[in-house]
Amino acid sequence: MASVTFDHVVKRYTSDLTVVKDFNVEVADKEFMVLVGPSGCGKSTALRMLAGLESISEGQIRIGDRVINNIAAKDRDIAMVFQSYALYPHMSVYDNMAFPLQMQHMKKAEIDKRVKSASSSLGLGNFLDRKPRALSGGQRQRVALGRAIVRNPQVFLLDEPLSNLDAKLRAQTRIELQKLHRDLGTTFIYVTHDQVEAMTMGDRIAIMNAGILQQVGTPGDIYDHPANIFVAGFVGTPTMNFVAATVQDGVATASGFHVKLPKALPAAKGILGFRPEAVTDRIPDPDSAMEMKVDVVERLGSDQFLYGKVGGDSVTARVDPRIKVEPGDSIKLGLDTRTLHFFDSETELALL
Amino acid sequence: MSVVSPATKPGSPATKPVNLERRSLLSAIRPSRAILNIVLVVSAVFWLVPTIGLAIISLRPESLFQQSGWWTALTAPSQLTLSNYQTLFAQGLVARGVLDSLITSLEITVPATLLVTIISSLTAYSLVFGRWPGRSVVFLVIVGLLVVPIQVALIPVVQEYRVFGDLSGFNPFGTIPGVVIFHVAFGLPFGIFLMYNFYSGIPKEMLEAGRIDGAGEWQLFRRVALPLGLPAAASLMIFQFIWVWNDLLVALIFLGNNKHATLTIFLFEQTRTLAANYWIISTGAMISIFIPLIVFFSFQRYFVRGVLAGAVK
Amino acid sequence: MAEIGTEATPRARRRAAAVNEGGNPGGGWRDHLGSLAFLAPGAIFLLAITVYPLAATARNSFYDATASNYVGLANYKEIFSTSSILVTFRNNVIWVIVFPFLVTFIGLVYGVLSERIRWSTAFKTIIFMPIVFSATASALVWRTIFDLDPHIGIVNATIQTASDWINPPGLYPVDPSAGQSVAGLVATGVSAGPKDSLESSSTVTAGNPVELGLIGISPATLQLVGAQTAVVPTASPGAVTGLVWRDFSPSNPTARGQVLPDELGFPGLKLTLLRSDGTSAGTAVSDAHGDFSFGSVGSGSYKVQIDSSNFSSGFTGIFWLGTQSLTPTSSLNQTAQALLSVPLVDISMILAYLWIWAGFAMVVIGAGLASLDREVLEAARLDGAGEWQTFRRMTMPMLAPVLIVVIVTMLINVLKIFDIILNMAPGSSQGDANTLALAMYNFGFTGGLGNWGLASALAVILFILVIPAIVLNLRRIRG
Ligand SMILES: Nc1ncnc2c1ncn2[C@@H]1O[C@H](COP(=O)(O)OP(=O)(O)OP(=O)(O)O)[C@@H](O)[C@H]1O
Ligand SMILES: [Mg+2]
Repeated sequence: MASVTFDHVVKRYTSDLTVVKDFNVEVADKEFMVLVGPSGCGKSTALRMLAGLESISEGQIRIGDRVINNIAAKDRDIAMVFQSYALYPHMSVYDNMAFPLQMQHMKKAEIDKRVKSASSSLGLGNFLDRKPRALSGGQRQRVALGRAIVRNPQVFLLDEPLSNLDAKLRAQTRIELQKLHRDLGTTFIYVTHDQVEAMTMGDRIAIMNAGILQQVGTPGDIYDHPANIFVAGFVGTPTMNFVAATVQDGVATASGFHVKLPKALPAAKGILGFRPEAVTDRIPDPDSAMEMKVDVVERLGSDQFLYGKVGGDSVTARVDPRIKVEPGDSIKLGLDTRTLHFFDSETELALL
Repeated sequence: MSVVSPATKPGSPATKPVNLERRSLLSAIRPSRAILNIVLVVSAVFWLVPTIGLAIISLRPESLFQQSGWWTALTAPSQLTLSNYQTLFAQGLVARGVLDSLITSLEITVPATLLVTIISSLTAYSLVFGRWPGRSVVFLVIVGLLVVPIQVALIPVVQEYRVFGDLSGFNPFGTIPGVVIFHVAFGLPFGIFLMYNFYSGIPKEMLEAGRIDGAGEWQLFRRVALPLGLPAAASLMIFQFIWVWNDLLVALIFLGNNKHATLTIFLFEQTRTLAANYWIISTGAMISIFIPLIVFFSFQRYFVRGVLAGAVK
Repeated sequence: MAEIGTEATPRARRRAAAVNEGGNPGGGWRDHLGSLAFLAPGAIFLLAITVYPLAATARNSFYDATASNYVGLANYKEIFSTSSILVTFRNNVIWVIVFPFLVTFIGLVYGVLSERIRWSTAFKTIIFMPIVFSATASALVWRTIFDLDPHIGIVNATIQTASDWINPPGLYPVDPSAGQSVAGLVATGVSAGPKDSLESSSTVTAGNPVELGLIGISPATLQLVGAQTAVVPTASPGAVTGLVWRDFSPSNPTARGQVLPDELGFPGLKLTLLRSDGTSAGTAVSDAHGDFSFGSVGSGSYKVQIDSSNFSSGFTGIFWLGTQSLTPTSSLNQTAQALLSVPLVDISMILAYLWIWAGFAMVVIGAGLASLDREVLEAARLDGAGEWQTFRRMTMPMLAPVLIVVIVTMLINVLKIFDIILNMAPGSSQGDANTLALAMYNFGFTGGLGNWGLASALAVILFILVIPAIVLNLRRIRG
C-alpha cells in the first residue's frame, strides 16, 4: 500500500524562517493529489521532504506504514519529475531512463525490456540514442516521465512538470498524465501553481498558502465550498467578488445592494463572496438586483465579463455575450443566491 | 534632433541623433586598416623572435655561435643541422642528462596532475553538493589559500618530511613523491576553486534526480558530477600540467641531492656551471618547451578556459 | 464539507527529527560522513602542506638559523638593516610598480586592436604562446637576446647595425673597453695627436716622402682589409707622399724603423695634411701598399695626421643584464643606493616577463571585451559618441573589473617572482636583481645549512604583502 501521510510536518530553514507549517495531509493509495498554491508557498518544499531531498524539521512523513524521515532518498522507492526535467545531459535518452534501474543493479535484459516498453508507450522509441540537448521541450519532458515510469515506484512525484511547455502541449500532456495515472495505478503527487491544472487533474486538491495548508478536497468541493477567503479567491477565474456586508435578520447588506442569505448567521459583519457567474443579466430575484456602473468590458466569445462598481464595491459579472454594453453604461444585474459565500472578516473562515 | 543630414542613408531612422561632424572628424584620425595591420604584424614578429631564435640556435653548430648571429641562418639555411639534438640524445639516460631529466619531469608532472584533478573534483563535489555545515567557510579558506606564496611552506614541509621520515622510515625529502606531494597541495586551491565554480553551475536538480533514482554519493560523483565536470577537469589538468612541468623552485628544493633532476633543474645547472654552453642550453630549452607547446596547441581551448577561470593564481 | 488546514485546529506538535539547518534528509549524520570522506584527501593535503606550514613559518621567523632557539625580532631587524636585503624590497617595488600596469596596458591594446583584424586568432596565438614556456627556459632565451656580444645578442646586433650606419667604425678599431688605446699603436715617426688621432712626429714638406710606422694591429685585421707589402713611396715634386706601414717583421721581430720586405702597408687609412696652424691642407686615403699622396701642396711645412675615425671602434654592445642604474645614485651612500637605484637588468627582465605574460592579459581582457553588452556600446554610438569616446566612456568603465583582476593577478605574480631572476640575471648582477622570493630561497637553501630563521622572516613578509590580494579575492567571491 502506498498511501502517503504528512503528519504535523514542519520545515524550518533557520529559527525564524519556517516555510512549511504544521502540514497534515493523507494521500490515499492510487490517488492523484494536486498540491497547489501561489509561488513560494512551500509546495516544492513539502514535496522535496517527501522525496528525501530536504530534511524534515518536525513531524513525520509516512509511506504506507513506514516512517521515512530517516530513510535516504534512494531507498524511498519514489520517482520524481522535476520542473527542469533534470535530465543527465551527458547520457543518451536510453541511458537516462536506464540509470535508476542500473542503480538497483537490475539485470541488463530486464532494464532493456523496461526502457523499451516505457519509451515506446511515450513515443520516444526513435530517440533512444539521442542526447537530451537534441530533443524538443515536449520530448524532454517525456524522457523525464519515462525515467520515472521505468522504476515502477510506489509514489510518483511531479513538481510543475508542465510549466516549460507551450499552452497547446500543456493541455495535451495534462490529458496524457491523467491517462498515465490510470494506467500505472500509482499514487501521484503533483505540484503546480496553476489552478486550472489542479482543477482538471486532481482527484483531490490540497491548497497551500504561506506554508500553511488551507484546504484539502475534490475540485468540486473546493470550488463550491472554499474553506476561507484565500481558497475562494485562489480558485476560479475571474476571481470571486468580495464585498463587505452587514447582516441583519438574515439579510446581508452591501454598499450597493442587499441579499437574503439562505441560512441564518451569528455574525453581524463579514465579507460576502459570490463568483462572477452568479452575477448575470438574468434577474431571478428583484430584491437582490444591483445597478452596475461598467468600467471595462471583456468579450471572450462565449462569455462577456463586465468589470465595474456596484455602490462602493468593485464587482465582476458574467453576462450574455450578445448584450451590447459599453464602458460608462449602467446596467441592472441579478444575483444567484444559491452560490453565496460569507466569510468572517476576522478569521477569514467560511461561515456559509 | 530632427535635422536629417542628406548624408543619412535611406532606411536609417531619421531621428538618429548622430553628430555627423564629430564622427567624421574621429574617423579621420582613426588609424587606417593598413596601419593597424602593420602594427600588429610587427608585434607578432617581435613576439616570435625569441622562440625562433632559440630554435635556430639549437639547430646551428656550436662552432658558429660566437662567429655570427643566429639570424644569419635565415639567409643561409644550410647552417641548420640536428647535430646538437643527436649529441644530447646520444648521451642516453645518464643521470642529469636531458633524456633522464625529461623522464624525471614526467614522473613528477603526471602524478601531480592526476592527483590534483581527482582530489580537487572530490573536494569541490563535497563543497558544492554535500550538505554538511560550514561548507562556505571552508570554501572561503580555500579562496584565501589561492594566492599564498609557496615560500611560506618550504621550510616547514622540509621539517615535516623529516619528522615523517623518523616515524615511518620513509623521508619524502629528496624523492619524487616528496616533490609531488608539495605540488599537489599547492595545486589544490586553484583546482578546487575551478571545479567548485564549474560544479556550482550544474543544476542541483541533476544531482537530486540522481539521488531519487537511487544513486549513492559515490555513484552520483562518478556517474553524474565527474562526467559533467569533464571540460573543467580538462582545463585543470592542462593548467596543472604546465604549472608543474615549468616549476623550478619546488623541484630544486625537494629533489635535494637526488641523482635525477627535472628539465628546469637541468637548464638551471647548465647556465650555472657551463656559462657559455649555449648549444646545450638552447637545445635543452627547446626540448623542455616541446611538450607544453604540444599541449598548448592541442588543447588551447581548454587551456584558455582554465586561464580565464583562475585569473588569480 | 472540505477538510480544513490544521492551523485552525492546533494540536500538540510532535518532534520527529532534529532540526538540522540546511538539512540532510534520510541518512542523517551518515550522509555527512559520506560528504566528509570526499573532503578528506583535499583537507589532509591542505592542512599538512599549506595551513600548518603557514603557522610554522610564522613561528620559525622568530627563531634562529636552525629554527631551534627563540631570537625575538632579530631576523626582522637584520632584514631591515642589511642593505643587500633591502635591495630585494627595492626590486620588488620596481617590479610591482612597473610590471602589472605595463602588461595590462599592452594586453588592453592588443585585446582591443586584435578584434579588428581578420587574423586575430593567429595573432592571439602568437602572443599567448610564451605563457606555456617555463620562466627558466624564457630567461635563457632572453639572456641570449640581451647578450653583450653583437654576434650573439640580437638587441645589441640591431643597435650596432643602426649605429654603424650613422657612425661607421674605422677599419682599425681600437676598443678602449678592452684596454687598448690609440697611443699604444705608435712605433716609428708618429706620435699621439689630439683626440685619438696620430700625427707625424716631424714636419713634412712637399717632395720628401714620410714613413709612418704603427704596431699593435693584428694580422687578421690586415688580411681582412687586403693589406699588401709596404712599398716606400717615391718622392714627387709639389706633393707630400708617404707610407703608413706595420713596423713589424715576423722574420725580424725586433727590427724597428725600417721597411722590410715582409712588412705590410695599411690600406684605407684616412689622412689629413695639417698646416702649422692646424687647419687642413688636404686629405688622402692610403692604397693597398700603405702609400698616400697629397697633391699640389705649396711650400711650407706640414704635418700628416692619421684621423681618429680610422680607430673608432663603433658600437660594441650594451650590457643589458648589467647593474648600471637608470637613476643617478652614485653620489649617495650605500643604503640609499640600495633603495633608490634602478639597475638596467631589472628593466631587461621586465621586458622578458612581459613577453611571457602579455598574452595572458590580452586573453583575459579579450574575454572581458567579448562579454560586454554590445547593445550598450551601440546605444552610446547612437547617442553620438565617437569610437574613442565610446571606448573611454563605455568600454573602459565596463571593463574595469576585468582590468583590476589582471592587475591584481600580475601583482601577486611579480611579488613572488623568482625563476626569471635566478636564471636571467648573470652572476655579476644577481645581487642587484635580487627579490624577496629569491632571497628567501638563497638564505634558506643555499650555502650549506642555510638560515631558516631569516628565510622564514622573508617568507612571512612575502605573505603579509599578498594579504591585500587575499582580502580582495574573498570580497570578490562573496560579493
Ligand atoms: N534552501 C533554502 N533556504 C532558505 N529558504 C528556502 C530554501 N529553499 C526554499 N526556501 C524558501 O522556502 C519558500 C518555499 O519555497 P518552495 O520552493 O517550496 O516554493 P514553491 O511553493 O514551490 O514555489 P514555486 O511555485 O515558485 O516553485 C520560499 O519562500 C523559498 O524562498
Ligand atoms: Mg516549486
